[in-house]
Amino acid sequence: MSDQSVLKSRRSGAGLNLLLGLTLLLLLMAMWFALSIETTTFWTSNNMANLLRQGAMIAILAIGETFVIITGGIDLSVGAIAGFTSMMVAWLLTHDLGFTSSIAGAISCTLAIGIFIGLFHAFGVVQMGLPPFIMTLASMYALRGIGLLITNGATISITNDAFTGFSRASFLGFPWTDGSWFAVPMLFWMVIVVAVPAYLLLSQTRWGRYLFAIGSNKEAARLSGVNVKAVTYMAYIVSAFCAAFVGILLAMRIGIGNPTQGDGWELQAIASSVIGGTSLFGAVGSVHGPLIGSFILTTINNGANLLNLNPFWQRIITGLLIILVVYFDTLRTRKR
Amino acid sequence: MSESLESAPAAASGREPLLVLQKLDKRFGATHALKDVDLAFEEGEVHGIVGENGAGKSTLIKVLTGVHPRTSGEVYWRGNSVPLVNPHEAIGLGINAVHQEVVLCPHLTVAANIFLGDEITHGGMLSHRAMVREGQKLLDDLGFKLPAGALLSSLTIGQQQLVATARAERRGAKFLIFDEPTAYLTRQETAALFKLIRRLKANGVTIVYISHRLEEVFELCDRVSVLRDGALVGTRRVAETNEADLISLMINRTIDQIYHKFSVPIGETILEIDNLCGPGFHDVSVKVREGEIVGLYGLIGAGRSEFVQSVFGRRPAASGRIVWRGKEVRIRNERQAMDLGIALSPESRRDQGLCLHLGVDLNINLPIFKRLSVGPFINLGREASAADRQIRDVQIKTAARRAPVSSLSGGNQQKVVIGKWLNHGAKLFIFDEPTVGVDVGTKAEIYRLLGSLLQQGAGIVMISSYLPEVYELADTLHVFRGGTIVATHSLKGASHETILTEAIGV
Repeated sequence: MSDQSVLKSRRSGAGLNLLLGLTLLLLLMAMWFALSIETTTFWTSNNMANLLRQGAMIAILAIGETFVIITGGIDLSVGAIAGFTSMMVAWLLTHDLGFTSSIAGAISCTLAIGIFIGLFHAFGVVQMGLPPFIMTLASMYALRGIGLLITNGATISITNDAFTGFSRASFLGFPWTDGSWFAVPMLFWMVIVVAVPAYLLLSQTRWGRYLFAIGSNKEAARLSGVNVKAVTYMAYIVSAFCAAFVGILLAMRIGIGNPTQGDGWELQAIASSVIGGTSLFGAVGSVHGPLIGSFILTTINNGANLLNLNPFWQRIITGLLIILVVYFDTLRTRKR
Repeated sequence: MSESLESAPAAASGREPLLVLQKLDKRFGATHALKDVDLAFEEGEVHGIVGENGAGKSTLIKVLTGVHPRTSGEVYWRGNSVPLVNPHEAIGLGINAVHQEVVLCPHLTVAANIFLGDEITHGGMLSHRAMVREGQKLLDDLGFKLPAGALLSSLTIGQQQLVATARAERRGAKFLIFDEPTAYLTRQETAALFKLIRRLKANGVTIVYISHRLEEVFELCDRVSVLRDGALVGTRRVAETNEADLISLMINRTIDQIYHKFSVPIGETILEIDNLCGPGFHDVSVKVREGEIVGLYGLIGAGRSEFVQSVFGRRPAASGRIVWRGKEVRIRNERQAMDLGIALSPESRRDQGLCLHLGVDLNINLPIFKRLSVGPFINLGREASAADRQIRDVQIKTAARRAPVSSLSGGNQQKVVIGKWLNHGAKLFIFDEPTVGVDVGTKAEIYRLLGSLLQQGAGIVMISSYLPEVYELADTLHVFRGGTIVATHSLKGASHETILTEAIGV
């Protein structure tokens, strides 16, 4: 067995995805290049760090969302989870509950809430047999409601500077092309912290293979000894966990907890995932795809701002881009 | 016999050719799917087309129905050259196809499907009642006992195929292609279909009949053409040829090389089942020993698949006793069955056997990923070599290890369904219709594979609706009817007729 063929086989289910991934990366580069020429403000260490910061949260949501989409499901609640958990972590930090009100305690408690929400989704989908769309749509409404109930509609301000300071911090860096120092934002490091284990889980473990198998044919997977229930549980837990993680980052970034935050983020996450080559029919997806997809979306937003475009155009461009990318994807699959 | 082999497209008899293919050629990229096919279909004949999987039969249908435009060559319809570039054009001429996989709308009624695209309307509104009435009349006329008002999804696949036939009949087909129509039909349904085909023929419709079941070709067809590797290797009058002749044309091999019965000494009992009852079957008692093939014969719906799925833990049994190698066990799910050493290759490749859009390697390794892993992580080298070994051992023809299974021919897909269990190390193999829709060459390979499993000391349970296969191969043959075993025979212990009668229950 040559190393080359081993390397090839690694992409098993998502073989052609690599090609799409490269195309998307080129698209991203082209957008950056065009914006660098068109504006003086884009290709600066400041703006690029800002772009990484802006894109970080949708990127993490999109990675989690992809796990669910690969199984053939969908998670509409990730935006609501992010909003709800941003409120929860703020609520915990501003109360005096011993360990759970320390930074470490509040964060672990909030992540646990995320896992619990994921368990709940999977319970509805697996045990009650509800369609994932309905289950997570219901949860999206209910979570916002619970959040508003707890806060009584008010916003919780976080006074803990050590907590909020993290979102402005950076780690490591390198000299930028104009001589200034490019400091990699902590928020972007958080993307790496999520993406690396997500990649390992999806591409290097048997549970990753099972995810694809379930998305392709649940009955065949079951008759081959795959524990379909357990793997489905895993997908929804990963998605909700990533969303809770984003909720914490969101609370850090804006310094407040408000359950109405993160409105529409679920759609941005799904869009990033789809732009990144994930198939809504299941069984096709990767980690690098949604990652690049989310930064393409962020670049559109960032670039439109710098170009002084009417912000409403951003949504139109995003819509057109989704149609374009998915159309190219259809062309590719049609050829087979 | 060789003089009936035609080299020119002109019809041998004086009858008018309806459709003539001249040097028909089709390429898909590097694949040469049809090579210079010259063929003439006479008006009102039933023309069989046989060949192994991948011989080009499906491509031929797709070219004739306008799904794929041809690469080169000419097609003449009543003497006029026709381009055949889209399905509408083909349907307009009167060329229709009834496919093996039914392409109708499951959520509409039978009548709505029959009239789809050509609905009966009153002032722009659909007239459901008129369509049900007309549809029922059509079905009754054709001799199909089907309710026109029922939802299509409430019918069996076989019945849905009859609906597709009725639909083609209504559209005024002059040239009707049947692709493996009887694969999922019961005997009664098959008989009704044959009656219909004969009636269509009497009305002057030209029928192209594609099947792996040669006995059907002999029963039904006037002439038969053999395709091999995309080329036409011969056209014979059915009256002037025989099964052995056709098979040798198809595969260059003789028939006694196909059913090769391995005589393996019978060993200890692997599985003993007493009075097992569950959803769809009751009071089934079966014993399987090492080196033995236990055949389960019966009509579709007789409870055979339900029984083996229960043994495999898919739908656990309600009562009864299962003794596995001397120890009583309860099998609650598939993983438990696999851990004991049971493997099940299910009936339907598409629905139960394969993750069609995923790679050959993933499909083959699916049952054994646990063993290919170190902790949670897959050993990628072992994953690749395990897949390669199976692809080599069962001779799966695939462009690449990671190529999606959907790109394989039917026979090769079936080899994936079976091949994935060979690495698992099972002691008992259950094969549910292992050769359905598979060509003769692949059948022979699958039978050889069964033999080698027996030699390794395994026991085999084989379900088949194709009597010659279980008859020739099973050491013990159980006949199923109405959810239970009605008769048991040793190897060739009863005649075909006896077994058939027992299965039908007249």
